[in-house]
Amino acid sequence: MPDPILFTVDGKQVGAQPGQTILQAAMASGIYIPYLCYFPKMKPYGACRTCVVETEVTVQRGDQKVVQKATVASCTAPAQKDMIVHTNSDPIRDLRKGIIELLMAEHPHGCLTCHRIELCGPQDICQRHVGVTDRCTICPKNERCELKDTVRMVELDLRTPLNYHRRNLPIHTDDPFYDRDYNLCIVCARCVRVCEEVRFDTALTLTNRSGVSLVGTSHGTSLLESGCEFCGACVDVCPVGALVERDYKWEKASRKVKTICTNCPVGCQMVAEVNRYDKVVRSVADIQGDANNGQACFKGKFGYDYPNAKQRLKHPYVREGGVMRRVTWDDALGRAAAALKKYKPEELAVVASPRGTNEDNYVAGKFARVVLKTNNVDSGLNIAPELLDVLRRRLGYGAATNPVWHLERSKCVLVVAGNPTEEQNVLAVPVKKAARAKAAIIVVDTRETELTRYATEWLRVRPGTEALLLSGMARVIIDETLEDKEFVSGRTSDLEPLKHALARVEPSAVAGECGVDEAQLRRAARAFAKSGASAVLLGPDTAGGPAVRSAMADASVNLALLCGSIGKEGAGVFPLYSGANTAGSLDVGCAPALLPGPRPIESHADWAEIGSLWGAGAPTARGVGMPQLAGEIRAGRIKAAIVMGDGLDPDAEGLDGLGQALGRLEFLAVSAVFDSEATARAQVVLPAAPYSEQQGTVTNVERRVQLVRRISAPKNEEKSGWETFGALAGKLGPTGLSYKSAEDVFAEVRKAVPHYAGLSHERLADGGIQSPCLEAGSAGTPILHFQPKALVPPAAPTPQTPAQTGSALAQATVVVQPPAPAQVDGGKKLAFVSDGRLFERPLDVESGQTLLLAHGRVLHQSGREAGVVKRGDMNYISREEVASIHPDDAVRLGIRDGDLVDISGEAGGETVTARVKVGGPPRGVAQMTTLFGTVASAMQDDPRPDPSPYVKGLWPGRVRLTKRPVRVPAVAAAG
Amino acid sequence: MPGNFEEMAQRAKAQWQGLVAGRRPWVRVGYGISGQAAGADAVFDAAVKACREQGADAEISRVGSLGLHYLEPVLDVTLPGGPRVFYANLRPDEVAHIVRDHVKGGKLIAGRAYAYDAADGVSVDGLPKLAETEAFKRQVRLATRNCGDIDPLDIFQYVANGGYAGLHKALTSMTPEQALDEVKKSGLRGRGGAAFPTGVKWSFLAPSKAPMKYVLVNCEEGDPGAFNDKGILESDPHTLIEGLLLAGYATNSNYGYVFIRHGHDLPVNATKRAIEQCYEHGLAGKNILGTKFSFDMEVAFTGDSYVAGEETALMEAIEGKRSAPRFKPPFPAAFGVWGRPSNINNVKTIAYVPQIVLKGGDWFKSIGTPTSSGTAIVCLTGHIKRPGMYEIPMGLTIRQVLDEIGGGVSEGKEIKLLQTGGPLGGVLGPASFDTAIDFDAMSKAGAILGSGGIIVGNETVQVVDLIRNLVAFCQFESCGKCFPCRLGNTHMLETLDRMCRGQGRAGDLDLMARIGGAMKTGSLCGHGQLGYNPISSALKFFEGEFKSSVQAGQKPLGQFEDGSMVLPTRTRP
Repeated sequence: MPDPILFTVDGKQVGAQPGQTILQAAMASGIYIPYLCYFPKMKPYGACRTCVVETEVTVQRGDQKVVQKATVASCTAPAQKDMIVHTNSDPIRDLRKGIIELLMAEHPHGCLTCHRIELCGPQDICQRHVGVTDRCTICPKNERCELKDTVRMVELDLRTPLNYHRRNLPIHTDDPFYDRDYNLCIVCARCVRVCEEVRFDTALTLTNRSGVSLVGTSHGTSLLESGCEFCGACVDVCPVGALVERDYKWEKASRKVKTICTNCPVGCQMVAEVNRYDKVVRSVADIQGDANNGQACFKGKFGYDYPNAKQRLKHPYVREGGVMRRVTWDDALGRAAAALKKYKPEELAVVASPRGTNEDNYVAGKFARVVLKTNNVDSGLNIAPELLDVLRRRLGYGAATNPVWHLERSKCVLVVAGNPTEEQNVLAVPVKKAARAKAAIIVVDTRETELTRYATEWLRVRPGTEALLLSGMARVIIDETLEDKEFVSGRTSDLEPLKHALARVEPSAVAGECGVDEAQLRRAARAFAKSGASAVLLGPDTAGGPAVRSAMADASVNLALLCGSIGKEGAGVFPLYSGANTAGSLDVGCAPALLPGPRPIESHADWAEIGSLWGAGAPTARGVGMPQLAGEIRAGRIKAAIVMGDGLDPDAEGLDGLGQALGRLEFLAVSAVFDSEATARAQVVLPAAPYSEQQGTVTNVERRVQLVRRISAPKNEEKSGWETFGALAGKLGPTGLSYKSAEDVFAEVRKAVPHYAGLSHERLADGGIQSPCLEAGSAGTPILHFQPKALVPPAAPTPQTPAQTGSALAQATVVVQPPAPAQVDGGKKLAFVSDGRLFERPLDVESGQTLLLAHGRVLHQSGREAGVVKRGDMNYISREEVASIHPDDAVRLGIRDGDLVDISGEAGGETVTARVKVGGPPRGVAQMTTLFGTVASAMQDDPRPDPSPYVKGLWPGRVRLTKRPVRVPAVAAAG
Repeated sequence: MPGNFEEMAQRAKAQWQGLVAGRRPWVRVGYGISGQAAGADAVFDAAVKACREQGADAEISRVGSLGLHYLEPVLDVTLPGGPRVFYANLRPDEVAHIVRDHVKGGKLIAGRAYAYDAADGVSVDGLPKLAETEAFKRQVRLATRNCGDIDPLDIFQYVANGGYAGLHKALTSMTPEQALDEVKKSGLRGRGGAAFPTGVKWSFLAPSKAPMKYVLVNCEEGDPGAFNDKGILESDPHTLIEGLLLAGYATNSNYGYVFIRHGHDLPVNATKRAIEQCYEHGLAGKNILGTKFSFDMEVAFTGDSYVAGEETALMEAIEGKRSAPRFKPPFPAAFGVWGRPSNINNVKTIAYVPQIVLKGGDWFKSIGTPTSSGTAIVCLTGHIKRPGMYEIPMGLTIRQVLDEIGGGVSEGKEIKLLQTGGPLGGVLGPASFDTAIDFDAMSKAGAILGSGGIIVGNETVQVVDLIRNLVAFCQFESCGKCFPCRLGNTHMLETLDRMCRGQGRAGDLDLMARIGGAMKTGSLCGHGQLGYNPISSALKFFEGEFKSSVQAGQKPLGQFEDGSMVLPTRTRP
């Protein structure tokens, strides 16, 4: 860190980093300067002028020293050496009051001038002192209003000669999730700026100018039409009651608890606001969160409140004669134990919750092995295990190699068959930031997704050819000798076999087979190789199935190794898997082929180690994982199962119709928060504690182990996963699975998982730590395989070998940083993989009557008219749904442009208008996109209390297109 | 022949000689916006028609405006080798007569002709020389030297009159530092309002080694009563373009924007044409005049926003954003348009540069006063006999301008007040009319020269109502970004509004002073910082009128018979 700039604020010496403003430096030193338009982590704006200060700077003029005085906005003025700042002089106080006085004449503030303000209790409704529309007490932001705090802080005299006007604007309450009341808006533009500057959506804008200036959407449309992502960032930054969440709108928080969103693997750090009845009434992204940098998405911001739902399961039930009967835990467990005893180990399966903590998953894995003696155990949404398996095999860890937020420093981001905006929303924010900083964004996807909007190259491949395309890129890089020679020679092995293998794929042939332009393929390869900091986002959404997915992952790692994208800032490989804690569940051995560690199940040495910890041994044959589970049940090979249902969608694509299959089991025990399809088929139903009623750790995509805190005690008889398994194990015999607390479980996890050895619940209380963290003093490993280079700023370096630690820089960083952990796999060279799987050929999608439906999600499509209809009080997007198909398919299927066609597939059907166009999707594909607004309205409308953990409809699936008898001309249909 | 300037200059001279001393008469019609408004279109058409019908073989041109707007439409006739004779306030039906007698017959129409212009020693009986007329004799025309004389769309006419000689001189015989030194030496100060020394400003940009550096010319010119920037562009755009090229050379920049308010078609088209011609003749683009200096230019537009004329708001507008000012620092010299080092100047400032480079900084410094060198280009409007655009040496007093050039009050008895420097500039009362037109003297008197607009009001003007109108303008044009300006203007306007309605309150003047104080120190840009100026300057001279309008029972001001007032109807959302 450079030396601080020293200057004086109100007589106190303050240090500022270069580029810091007076306001930032003062606040960091504990000096409060009131502000309204500034917000941390956003660019200064300088509009509200509440942060004005007086400055004195001494300058040399010839022989004389002259003191220059100025009144400046401290949020925009950079700190200067030896500057003297007065934040609270008389003129400044007067000026500040003068400005806020003007502001208050535009804002309902009756309560602030009321003589009873000190007497007024939170539940009082005054009878006559203040006009109804003018009360702070009826404002949803009462007592968390920054304006009110500021007014009180500056001790504003509110007996003013200024005329107060109420704007009397209608309140916008018809968009999903949040309300907009512009009567309360102070036009600080925080919402506009966060939307444009941080989220890159630009759904909000300043409208009009001068005294009539306000915030709104362009042309006053609904949020649904303006391209809103419903991330709620604007709501979080609003200082007044203009933007508020609709649910629990007027609820007051009596306390705030930091927790982790368990809807997706990004693991956003959130602050849960809890009312005095222990209900979570609000969820606000934690501005200090390392994983999310103060951002969240519609799932984390608005999908947090399912623990409050009335439909919660409160007690254990057993099915008797087709009827569910409430029983005691003891009875329920006894019944389950008795049933489970009847089956052979290979006939049993355990499914852990995708939201399950590491503690739950660890105990689930141990339960399966030690008690049931089976390896049929997996995390519920581990539906594309190939991604993490390949990364673990190739790079030593089944998760992202680099921190998510470092993506903003990437110079090139390659997105393969993934839609992070939809599934891992916050992960896409730094990608978009990189895009704005002119990073190349290369999207390899058949679908149109939100990131294709940012793409410098959109390689619209034929379905299933993603892996081949990536290998083609590798071939171009080798042909043009663009590889990172130093990295390849020093840190990798087995390049020669790869070269031989790649010799088989001519770029022109690859381009032809993938259905892209060869020049574009070459451009993409060059951009990826030359950028200096290239990252790969590796998604699961290929039509090619497990084989292609696995090949895609291998090809991605090959590309990353070729270009030296491992072990440096702004680079890395990021798997876009489903399930909030899937990576953690693998770490702790809740997987069909992994023991805690994770250690391969086939390895006898590893089994010996874990076996001695557990005091038991178990089968070494690979178990059944989630993608195969439904098939095994249907085949009758699995007859009984225990399913942890919190956040599990048995109908998720990739689970192969698990929902139906569960009905075929002879015995099913389900632990869940809500009644669902799974509980309807269960013989024993156990109430599960949701995130707010349990403590435990989860590991996110960037290996950050974070603490989910218990917000309240279970309200009824709910139990955490580890408690449930422990209690059930107790019924099946003495097995060492009874733990006193989650911390107790974690103490054992630490022994079983070397990467977690340095972690504890206590250490995680201040924020997450990135695994591997091998000892208690370690600060974790932000970047895997990191090797400090002279020019790379040492964010958190991990010195690798004695040779490197000998350099001056490495030594310096060792002093600053806590001892760094040894690297994964002990510094072995990273091998290229070159077997035939890399060149998985495309599916045969071009014949027959079915097409592959590529369903994308976009924020907004400018080319097509979207209207808004009102149903009840709510806005819904209404637009002509269109499926684009290739002209050749159109001829084959007898469909013409503008025809109405029925699309029917496994997930149901709908009627759309066909668009036949050149330059659209490749042959064999029907392309559709849904607007984000549609997804938001659907989620708000969903009758299920917890619809958010899995987003359906993104995987390509087979559909049949049938032409409707009546042909509607395209123009008429659009009108 | 791009690049060969001598050849081009020779060709231009020959063409010009052909016009003024060739075989055919040359008829010029003044064609600025004021001319158009007065009917120059019809006069021009009538001239073309008359010549055709009468078989008169004459060259007919549209030229810029002389700045004598009270004389529009102006048509003049130059017989081969003869003097140039002006006809003023011409009706289209008089043109046929002029063509018959003067163009064809060779005899000027005595009694109808207004003035003549010719080389020294030549005189025309019974006619005054234009340069000796009241409105002209006090003028020193530097930036407007070609206005009304040449066709603004013809680069050769500009070159024939000494155009691009300054650029040629600088590129062939001066280093950028020397060119910058001449500007520094000249004492030229910015004509946009702040009066900052131009050479010093340029020297902030010149040392930067950034790969892209921009020079911006500001012709937003939204002040009511100011039309000199547009006047220069519509009558002589090349003088600006040459100045811009020189500014680019002196500051080692490589790109220029001329920022013009959209909708002003004459200046926009003239400037675009001028830039095109520069590219055609090797005066813009790569390797200008065969030297190493390369410079590109384009015209950029604003939306309808007054604040877009603020330098950082202008940059936002060029970048296609909402034109709201940025905070400073960083200053444009470090972080300007597209985040690159930039420099921004007023049209008038840049228009002086070719002459300064050609004739030297010392020559320019000899004109005007010691601290304000050169000339001021003033626009006279309102209750004045001779409204127009005049270029006068700095140091002339306001009274001289009003009486000698303007000819005094046009209707009513006397001049009661002046509104100078745009709506934010404030008003002046008769007590200050002896102030010299000079940046420092004017600011001491409580007004700014600003854009050079002087709106004259006679004794019928109600000061409070006038101020209400000015504040209404400022309120309406506030960008709405910073709180003091957005809210302060609104509340000041509402206070003035009730004063005009006869509902003023005792504390209203104090209230406005308090709001104005917060705006002055608290606002983000000049628009808010100067927002109280109209009121404070008016109070200085006309406090009595304000005081009486906050008394009970005061007669309403500025209202129509039905009680309605001219005001924006919405001041709040």
